[in-house]
Amino acid sequence: MLAIDYALAGLGLGAVAALSGVGLLVTYRATGVFNVAHGATAMIAAYLFWQLADEWSVPIWLAAVLVLFVFAPAFGVLLERVVFRPLQRRFATPAEGLVATIGILVLLVGIAFAVWGQQTRHPSSLFPARVLHPGSLTLHVDAFSDLAAVVLGTGALGLALRLTPLGTQIRAVVDRRDLAELSGVDADRVAAIGWAIGSVFAALTGVLLASQLALDPFNLTLVVLETFAIPVIAGLTNIPIAIAAGIALGVGMSEMTLYAPSDAQVMNIWNALHANAPIVVLLLALLLRNRLPQSGGDAGLASTFARRRAAEPSIPRMALQYGLAAILVFAPLTFDPVSLQRAQEVPALGIIFVSIVAVTGYSGQISLGQAGYAGLGALFFARFSSGTPQLAALLAGVVAAGLVGFLTGYPAIRRRGLFLALTTFAVGTFVSRFVFEQPYFTSGVTVSRLSLFGLSLRGDRAFYLFELAMLAITFLIMYNLRSGALGRALVAIRDSEDGARSVGVDVRALKVLIFTVSAMLAGLGGALLAQQRLSFTSTDFDPLAASLPWFTVVVVFGADSAVAAIAGAAFVVLINSVAGNASAYLIVVGLVAAFIGYLPGGIAEAGRRLVEWVLTPTTLLRRYAEASRPPPQPTLSAEGRAALARVRAARKAGSTP
Amino acid sequence: MTGSRLTAIGITKRFGGLVAVDDVSVTAEPGTVTALIGPNGAGKTTLFQCLTGSERPDAGQVLLDERDVTRVSPDGRARLGIGRTFQRLAVFPSMTVADNLGVGAENRTNAPAVLRVGALLLGILGFPVVDVKRHQRRVDEVIELLHLDDVRDAPAGALPTGTLRLVELGRALCHDPTVLLLDEPASGLDTEETKNLQLVLRQVAADGVAVLLVEHDVDLVFGVADTVYAMAEGRLLASGKPDEIRTHPAVREAYLDVEAAG
Repeated sequence: MLAIDYALAGLGLGAVAALSGVGLLVTYRATGVFNVAHGATAMIAAYLFWQLADEWSVPIWLAAVLVLFVFAPAFGVLLERVVFRPLQRRFATPAEGLVATIGILVLLVGIAFAVWGQQTRHPSSLFPARVLHPGSLTLHVDAFSDLAAVVLGTGALGLALRLTPLGTQIRAVVDRRDLAELSGVDADRVAAIGWAIGSVFAALTGVLLASQLALDPFNLTLVVLETFAIPVIAGLTNIPIAIAAGIALGVGMSEMTLYAPSDAQVMNIWNALHANAPIVVLLLALLLRNRLPQSGGDAGLASTFARRRAAEPSIPRMALQYGLAAILVFAPLTFDPVSLQRAQEVPALGIIFVSIVAVTGYSGQISLGQAGYAGLGALFFARFSSGTPQLAALLAGVVAAGLVGFLTGYPAIRRRGLFLALTTFAVGTFVSRFVFEQPYFTSGVTVSRLSLFGLSLRGDRAFYLFELAMLAITFLIMYNLRSGALGRALVAIRDSEDGARSVGVDVRALKVLIFTVSAMLAGLGGALLAQQRLSFTSTDFDPLAASLPWFTVVVVFGADSAVAAIAGAAFVVLINSVAGNASAYLIVVGLVAAFIGYLPGGIAEAGRRLVEWVLTPTTLLRRYAEASRPPPQPTLSAEGRAALARVRAARKAGSTP
Repeated sequence: MTGSRLTAIGITKRFGGLVAVDDVSVTAEPGTVTALIGPNGAGKTTLFQCLTGSERPDAGQVLLDERDVTRVSPDGRARLGIGRTFQRLAVFPSMTVADNLGVGAENRTNAPAVLRVGALLLGILGFPVVDVKRHQRRVDEVIELLHLDDVRDAPAGALPTGTLRLVELGRALCHDPTVLLLDEPASGLDTEETKNLQLVLRQVAADGVAVLLVEHDVDLVFGVADTVYAMAEGRLLASGKPDEIRTHPAVREAYLDVEAAG
């Protein structure tokens, strides 16, 4: 085949990538929200299409109309009405919006998992998959149909935005919602239309992609997530550039097949690059563009994730807390073997969750790539544990994860909010694709539990105790990160980077440091998790099946509380063993995260309030007394009192002439 | 030029085609209060940003005690002794007032980067290097100076703007700056608070600090400043003692009369 044939073959995928990118961009332009759940919307739409067309034998055109023009807009409007309008009304920060979209993604993945299961489906193609041969060329009819659909869709949208009053209104609402409303624009209606359009684009992306790839809850969602590269390249503004970038990506990937190298070793790398080109492009685009429109300040993160106040130390309360914690922590030692093995997952997963608390809760940096570090810890431990002392192997895993965390810390210096979130996600996905999924690194890896100074930890109780020891070390580090000058400096960065800089807090060093420490903790947790499962599986450390849900759990349970993170881990393990698969917990935490605006500070904060009210009746009495006390009288300055006296004197003089 | 604490020489800053600051030089002497006035868009804030390090000038130099700090980052300048406040508040809302001030006190160090990173690592391992007790004394002093005793343990996020301006000032003072840069410190303050601020600034200057403020409140400026720089359209219009500036015809025309009419 010729280069031109490859280019033509790549057009189809490129067109769909462009479509996805434009959909993201339009939602962002019309609503100010970067919809991380775009891929999950596409996936759900593809499932519905498959259900209608392939299971219930509805004619394809009717299935397409139902999914694209009935379900998708209705879903978009529902999201706007139920999730994003209340956020907008409360002047919520972009960080809350980001968490809500991640929550919706996790929720949709959980629903798809629960309804359709994990097996792969192969939906029919929207357009006939025929091949024509005009002259010496090879033309894929479906690729061209995709391209035509994309050009028509985006062209119509572009014209509508330019020529109709709606387009002007959308731009007005995005720039200054308050001013737009003052000049009579119905901002809610505009936002609802924006969500509906974005949803239709997502659904079309899903339906077109599902016939080219296979359909399962995770894969399609992730493929669409990788097209985030396109709006990033387009600077989140320029639709023509987004289309060009999408098509270039598709054609470029197709052309790569033509230039495959002959050397076997290089060939492996080339194939990995070829298969994962979008994630490489996303990572490069994020790293090269350091002047993107910043979304959201830092104070927003503080109010979303952290509501912790300085608590008054109370000895009975501390005794109660530590006593309860000790009982809960040691209880699994009395469990039957099966339950104990399940309980072993809690400290391992808990340490990973705590690592998210360190980076997101304590210092306000969103990290969506935590599973990448955890997996590195697991993999390095597994590879080194046969040849070297096992404690050294564990250390190797921790250091390897820390090294990648250190490298992630550098781009984090200049990035905040959404772009930091995307960058960390891209790093996690990159590690997953280029390390965990490469046989070069993972084939023949076996995991066994370590033995310590000749003392075997193969027994379930011994291993659990070892995990508790590691958890104790983790908590010690967390305590140090929370207290004293170091803790204050980290919170200062979370609350206001500019404020922290103004008094000499070394923001660069602290950000790199917190990413490194967090990655090391995640690596430790990952190594323990692999030992608990006695295997290394790439899906255990998948960006979509692990990183995003883990982040969501931590935010839902309270991102600034290490104890809440452990409770979150216990919750996940418990609900998974009751439900038998992961769908239940995904649905629960996804749902709560979508509405996290109603639960600021997460479950931890709600729990603190509950404890405050229930355990100390005096609080109630004090509050009642405070509420019934008369408000303090305003105090006047010396001049004020003098002036008042003069006025009174004058009035007296005037009234009695 | 000898003896000047902070000197800006020939600062020029362009945004696209617009020259926001055009070849402006100012100095701030220890023990004095210097004020920068001018109508909106005069380039005061841009010049101020060049002094704090938030913006990098296209031409010109910023000297701190005759050391060139033009290319030093904002936090680097802070560690060298430049304290500042913000026009748009940048307090730490989830921390108490005392902790806000504590952060100000605890990060003043001349230690080189290696030692600072070393201190951070020791902190993570549970060996804090920073002498929190000593800094706490400084925090107590400043809280007393600014009359913040009542709100000492209140989370900053819940306090009114006027109080937060004082919290920011206090944070900068805890930092023991040799230069104090204030960006509209009186906006949002009532008459009483402004008066108090005036006293505090005199006292800070009397301790040998070079105070430089950008301010709209003409009464505050002429009540507290030793030297006034008047800017208009990116250029320096005049400089001198408050009385000279008050009666300077060009300044009256460009700024003071407008201000009086408005």
